[in-house]
Amino acid sequence: MSEFLTYTIIGLVTGCIYALTASGLVVTYMTTGILNFGHGAVSMVAAFAYWQLTIEWHMPVLLALILVILVGAPVFGALLERLLMRPLQGKPVELQVVVTVGLLIFLLGLANLAWSPAASATRTLPRFFSGHSLKLASVFVDYHSIVVVAVAVAVAIGLRFFFSVSRTGVAMRAVVDNPGLAAMAGARPNRIAQFSWALGAALAALGGVLLAPLQGALNIDLLTLTVILAIVPAVIGRLRSLPLTVAGGLVIGLAVTYAVGYLPPDSFVAKAQTAIPMVILFVALVLLRQERLRSGRVTGMTIARAPSLSRSLVAAGVFIVVAVVVSELVSGVNLGTATRGVVLGIAFLSLVLLTGYAGQVSLGQMTFVGTGAYAMAHLGHHGSLVGVLAAVAVSGGLGALVAIFAVRLRGLYLALSTLAFAYAMDYIFFDQHFGPYGSGLSVDRLHVPGLDTTSDKGFFILGAVIFALAGVGLLALRRGRYGRRLAALNDSPQACATLGVNIAYTKLAVFSASAALAGLAGALYGGQQHLVTSADFQTFNSLVLLLLVLLGGKSLVSGALATAVLYALFPVLQQHVPSLSNIQYVLVGLGALTLGRNPEGLGGQITRLRDLLVDRSGRAESGPAWTVEGERLVGADG
Amino acid sequence: MSAPTAEPATGASSVGGTEVGDGDGVVLRVEDVSVSFGGIRALHMVSLAAGAGGVTGLIGPNGAGKTTLFNVITGLEKPAQGRVRLGGADLSGMAPHRRARLGMARTFQRLEVFGSLSVRDNILTGAEFHRSWSRHAEDPASVTEEILDRVGLRAVADLRVDAIPTGMARLVELGRALATRPRLLLLDEPGSGLDENESEDLGRLLIELGEAGVAVLLVEHDVDLVMRISRTVFVLDFGRIIASGSPSEVQADPHVRAAYLGTQPSTDDGGGAGSAGSAGSSSSGGGGGA
Repeated sequence: MSEFLTYTIIGLVTGCIYALTASGLVVTYMTTGILNFGHGAVSMVAAFAYWQLTIEWHMPVLLALILVILVGAPVFGALLERLLMRPLQGKPVELQVVVTVGLLIFLLGLANLAWSPAASATRTLPRFFSGHSLKLASVFVDYHSIVVVAVAVAVAIGLRFFFSVSRTGVAMRAVVDNPGLAAMAGARPNRIAQFSWALGAALAALGGVLLAPLQGALNIDLLTLTVILAIVPAVIGRLRSLPLTVAGGLVIGLAVTYAVGYLPPDSFVAKAQTAIPMVILFVALVLLRQERLRSGRVTGMTIARAPSLSRSLVAAGVFIVVAVVVSELVSGVNLGTATRGVVLGIAFLSLVLLTGYAGQVSLGQMTFVGTGAYAMAHLGHHGSLVGVLAAVAVSGGLGALVAIFAVRLRGLYLALSTLAFAYAMDYIFFDQHFGPYGSGLSVDRLHVPGLDTTSDKGFFILGAVIFALAGVGLLALRRGRYGRRLAALNDSPQACATLGVNIAYTKLAVFSASAALAGLAGALYGGQQHLVTSADFQTFNSLVLLLLVLLGGKSLVSGALATAVLYALFPVLQQHVPSLSNIQYVLVGLGALTLGRNPEGLGGQITRLRDLLVDRSGRAESGPAWTVEGERLVGADG
Repeated sequence: MSAPTAEPATGASSVGGTEVGDGDGVVLRVEDVSVSFGGIRALHMVSLAAGAGGVTGLIGPNGAGKTTLFNVITGLEKPAQGRVRLGGADLSGMAPHRRARLGMARTFQRLEVFGSLSVRDNILTGAEFHRSWSRHAEDPASVTEEILDRVGLRAVADLRVDAIPTGMARLVELGRALATRPRLLLLDEPGSGLDENESEDLGRLLIELGEAGVAVLLVEHDVDLVMRISRTVFVLDFGRIIASGSPSEVQADPHVRAAYLGTQPSTDDGGGAGSAGSAGSSSSGGGGGA
């Protein structure tokens, strides 16, 4: 009985923190329509800042709390809104997702630079009123837990009061219902959005400061990931209802705690308990009633035209020749890096197909790379082609399976479902099947007659040829009937449906094809690495992959190659310049933050510049980068 | 121009022959359709019919529910009650793409073009979609060239659609819809953004389509155009059909004049309609009644 009570109390405390932070997510989403994937990172930075102030700089606790929660976080939130989020209003969901994911990666990178993980064990935060506890029936409850619950209750009541009574709160609700009408009635949507981001950040900070002492030594990843789970109760609250969100938070806190407490420690579910919230998220997403297809969105962005077949064949030929030359000039580690670049380039191409052409967001593409590597490890002994075929089939099949549930979802919900899937797979699959204690899985290299692929040189050339083929194939696809179909799906799913297209099926097919391509990349990546670990395919890497593809210009094969090589360089950088080991994430995050204003990415900018310089014949085709339907049609019916 | 290719209709109620509906040439039947958004009635017991071989007009002030009705007919919106029939077949619960395959196509008031594709590719894509689900469709490329001439878009065929004026983009949607060879064509304000000559051309084209056997249901703000080319006109106000009949009958109807001029007729209190349409009823500058 006392055991049950203990678990219940721990679960409630955890649940209260979820409820707090999830309320912050809901408040910002309600008023601005943007779900902040960087919310957890804000909590994490706040906890570290609080540690810095109180422990390192010996500031009084109360002053530090005020500085972090009531000053720092709200100012940061307001700045975020003004600088990054406002330009995102009305932009495609994929950009909204990517910019806030960029914020997440940026803050993670920054925190790793500022507070080196090497010294993490020395960073602990004392609990509030440490040493004091209260006896409740047969168990002792420490004051910190009581503080957490009290704060959560106070915030819940405060928010309730705020939204029903205060002028600002009522105006915020009005903006949610109808921004145009609210503006006419005198509400200022920009000010309200700014306020809600400030409030959201403050709640994130509050959650972080309360959570950190419960987790022992401050851990950047653990803090961030814990708060990211707040997405789950927020979705249960349908990103709208605060009471449902709070209830969702408590349920998840309790569910996870009971699972840890009561399931036998070596049972499958216990091992995978970290995945429970994400499994709940996936189920909740699938069961949620979907909003209608919305019209009047932004139409597709200007993307470079696909080069003709002859041009892409020439480019592929040149690429292969360059690869052969490189293989003669470079060896050892550098050749390994180059190989990683080209084979991961195939995974990047899988996102060019999915996100660039079809406009669907996947936050879990690395998962399919991982299942490809897994299939190759088990069925590709001695480099058998069977392994590669199995990799394509397994990943493609898994992609289709996810898609069966996910294609019904749109935009943000689709992105979230891929995140939930990838995150769950991290714990359910990768942590358990990639060698004991993550020691790794050994993978053989694909054997091709006439090419010594066991040599690094031969395998690099194989990788380059397969990348070139995939690139040419993708471009051919884009120029053709299927490419038009995907562009149409991207530009207007609604129009496609009324022209007789089964959208769900089309999305399923492209999801599956993209996953299959990622699986192919995984089989080759495994061969290149010889030994792959679960860390290679973590969700975090999927996020970085998506950001890089968008930075490279999401529909550009060349952009995918360039950013894939960059990605392959990350571990090298880490090895050679340990002091800057996280600078790459800072830069990638920073780059992604600019995508709100520059949706075509660096690659798109370069292409545009080239078009301007090389071909001045006044290509009438390149229209404005953005055409907002709503704006163009203002007054059309009045 | 010959009659459009009739699609093989699914279900038992399929009509084997040409465009003929349930015996009297009616292709589309809307029966007692009601839709509410959060307590506000957008449509209330709306019934109408559109016959083959001619234009049926649907007019009404802003917010009257015209686009909502189109969404119900095409399956993008579920009605709270009522049903839609195409050629006698009940479409209740049918997904939008299945309805399209039975031979209906539409345009959108808020443009839904494929902005990243050229004008030609927009129409070509429509034709290719048609070919992908229809067994006896023609070569998409030749369909496309024919339609480019027919809707008068040849001069801009190679331009990206998000770079052309709104009025032309509406014609692109019309051309794209025609590429699926529909027997029922739903047009949501195809004339807005067109100049006088262009709208003249549009009127001629719609009459031609009617003569070729297509049932055209036309929502249009240019009331003169509607009155000129329609056989039958329905008037929607606050989600209800307040009048129907020949253009001259409708023009003479006092309810219609009231709805358009913004004065309340003494007999009609507007029923349960909430605030949804009130902003629109006075702002319409249609003024083409008299």
